[in-house]
Amino acid sequence: MKSKWKKRIPACFIVLGIIGITMFWKMHQGKTVLEFGMFTGSNWGVENADAFVIIDRAIARFEKEHPDVKVEYTSGIDREDYSEWCADKLLRGDMPDIFMVLDEDFSRYVSLDVLENLDSYMENDPEFQQAEFFTKALEIGQGIGGEKVQYALPYEVVPTMMFVNKTLLEKEGIQMPRKDWSWEDFYNICQKVTKDTDGDGRLDQFGTYNYTWLDAMYTSGGTAFDSKNMTVDFTNTGVVESVKFMKKLNQLYGGEIVTQEDFDAGKVAFMPLNFAEYRTYKTYPYKIKKYTNFQWDCTTFPGIVSGQNVSKVDALLLGINKDSRKKMLAWEFLSELTMDKESQMDIFRYSQGVPSFKTVAESKEAEQIIQGEMDPEERVIGGEFLCEVIENGEITPKFYQEQMYEQIISLANTEIANIFEQNKSVDISMKILQRELQRYLNQ
Amino acid sequence: MKNRYMHFIRILFLGINIFSVAGICGFIYFTTFRISTEDNAREFIGQVAAIPKYPQAICAICGFLLTVLVVDMILRENKFQENGKGVMATLGVDFLCSLGIIYMLDFNYNGVLLLVAANAVIYIKDRRWTFFLLSASAMIFLVADYELISVTYNLYSVRSYIQYYSGTAQQFLLGAYNVLISANILIFILYCVNIILSQSRDIEEAKKRSENLQTVNAQLKHYNKMTEKMAEARERNRMAREIHDTLGHTLTGISAGVDACVAIIDENPEQTKRQLELVSKAVRGGIKDVRRSVSELRADALERFQLEEAIQDMISEINSLAGVKVCFHSNVKPLKFGEDEENVIYRIIQEGITNAIRHGHADCIWVDARKEEGIFKLKIKDNGVGCKEIKKGFGTKHMKERVNMLGGTISFSGENGFLINAQIPIRWGEEYD
Repeated sequence: MKSKWKKRIPACFIVLGIIGITMFWKMHQGKTVLEFGMFTGSNWGVENADAFVIIDRAIARFEKEHPDVKVEYTSGIDREDYSEWCADKLLRGDMPDIFMVLDEDFSRYVSLDVLENLDSYMENDPEFQQAEFFTKALEIGQGIGGEKVQYALPYEVVPTMMFVNKTLLEKEGIQMPRKDWSWEDFYNICQKVTKDTDGDGRLDQFGTYNYTWLDAMYTSGGTAFDSKNMTVDFTNTGVVESVKFMKKLNQLYGGEIVTQEDFDAGKVAFMPLNFAEYRTYKTYPYKIKKYTNFQWDCTTFPGIVSGQNVSKVDALLLGINKDSRKKMLAWEFLSELTMDKESQMDIFRYSQGVPSFKTVAESKEAEQIIQGEMDPEERVIGGEFLCEVIENGEITPKFYQEQMYEQIISLANTEIANIFEQNKSVDISMKILQRELQRYLNQ
Repeated sequence: MKNRYMHFIRILFLGINIFSVAGICGFIYFTTFRISTEDNAREFIGQVAAIPKYPQAICAICGFLLTVLVVDMILRENKFQENGKGVMATLGVDFLCSLGIIYMLDFNYNGVLLLVAANAVIYIKDRRWTFFLLSASAMIFLVADYELISVTYNLYSVRSYIQYYSGTAQQFLLGAYNVLISANILIFILYCVNIILSQSRDIEEAKKRSENLQTVNAQLKHYNKMTEKMAEARERNRMAREIHDTLGHTLTGISAGVDACVAIIDENPEQTKRQLELVSKAVRGGIKDVRRSVSELRADALERFQLEEAIQDMISEINSLAGVKVCFHSNVKPLKFGEDEENVIYRIIQEGITNAIRHGHADCIWVDARKEEGIFKLKIKDNGVGCKEIKKGFGTKHMKERVNMLGGTISFSGENGFLINAQIPIRWGEEYD
């Protein structure tokens, strides 16, 4: 019996060895495949027919540099389906090596330990220059809570700006607001334009559409969200001042609800608009479809005081799968997309956002590309101005779970709408809201 | 019966563990694909603290570890039962496998450890090792708990996968999950209780056996005494018969002869004289018979005991008589010779002691036996009156005859108490044992 075993054990080792060698050989035969997870279309809610072009060009360059590598991606996943697609891949243990990380998924991926910590790559790569990136954009890819760990790099940045109906302002004899305008200037203009133009007894021309207490909060110098400690503070002076300002603004409209139709009809002076929308609607073919009956432009958000002109900044992130076996290669491809001048310039050429690479965003070439898309007489948002807006911007607070943030915003919105409707005291109502939210968070 | 019951419990134990581990793996795998086909992945990962990164890999590795565990157990059961090192090695493999399974299942199920602990208890004979392994398993069982570890680490939870299902299915699955965990612990307890019971049964049996042994022992002692008594009685009977057959016969003859003498003495003195001579002859014959009987009796003592024992026996018998003390000393070990030699030695000692008491009125007698230059030397000395002249009839003639027969010499001295000095050449070459 014993001798039988003695014969069997070496036989087992030989079989295992053969299997191992075959697998090793198979793996090294042919090209290494780097999987890339991406979606089709724009991240910013605008049409984009050229979504593939940037990636395809980047892949072509990367594959030329790495002849034994093949980058593969699944095409045809919509922006709305991408989050589900990723979650599905994640659940099956089939996550791509490198993938686009949506804003709303980022916190969850960090907490599920899906994303590779990029700090060591950033330190060890001599080509990586942290200063070249927009600081705010990098912040979006950093860990939740107090940690400053970089889990993803920004690829494309989009700031929110204030849409201005120039025709309306001209009609009312108001000058285009300056870049460092304040809430007071803003309120004054709104007060002037809000009126009943056709004399039917109802207000039909308004100051703002879609401008919310959140937009005001970003420019108030305070915030309700403490990402570091994961708490909320709605009794913060900045927040209370924002709500008070919104209440004042709301009272101008006498209970009328401002709608998209009013805006499209050119009857509203201001509306928050992101840079991607700005570029889309300013260029062919959309410029002949939307906002055709008036002249318009974009500017900064008004600050609580002059100079506090902060707007929200969003970014499309790229992350590396922590369990990938080709992390180094993934990092190189990530560098190709985020740090290569050609790739970053392509964002201006084929997408609607702003490159996260500062020097590219500021460059003259970039300005020429934007100018080239627009009518010659249009005033173009310059690279310098764009960079200023982005660097002064504020990012969406990161919370442990996206749902929690959404829930807080929804609860706050309801309560603030109540304040406006029932003309409640802002100070007291915000204290009550804070108590309620605290109770919700403690659950 | 006991063994079969135990065997059943062990198989059930193994079965439940295999079912639990395979069930959890399969459930997670199946649920993962259900979630993905129902397009609820995003919502699901939003609700859980962690997910198993590679469900297929977990299934495969757990399956492999389970197989190793089962093969290992079968090997131990059939091959290494008596091999201490084999048992330890297979138990070690068991232990590692169970740790691997617990790790792969993110501490959702740590019952496998109980299975290993149960095996350790049964197979390890060394108490210290059993204690060590049991306490180690208990520690790990307590520490490797999902609720405890999930405080610091993000672990996936079977419960969150169960919560994916709705209403009744969820309740059913949760119930099944809890029942499996409880059943495992219950079987472990049953197993332990069974071991304790069988051990206490063993102890009780041993106790009963030792009690039985004691009773039998006491009985044996009793029998021994009875046998002794019976032997004594037999001996007495034999003596009675002997006396009756010889002395009785002779005395009867003498009595009849003397009666005849009385009747004829006046009429025929000559006849009487002849008759009396006949009587005298009968008396001498009687004396001879008595001597023969006594000598036969004495030899019996030697037959029953070894020489040394027989001597000791005789001495202690004499010592028990008040006023006489016999000291026996011998440097010959063992005191064991040929039958004739033993007889002679025994007789000389017996006769010497008898003479010392009867004729020398001694109260202290020293008997010294030693071996010098291949010759057995026996010295019997007393503190009695001694005698100036060695008279015949003190049995000295007999002694001389006996010693002469063995080619030895014997001398007597009556000064300063009485001293008998015998030198017997023994056939030392032979071994007697």
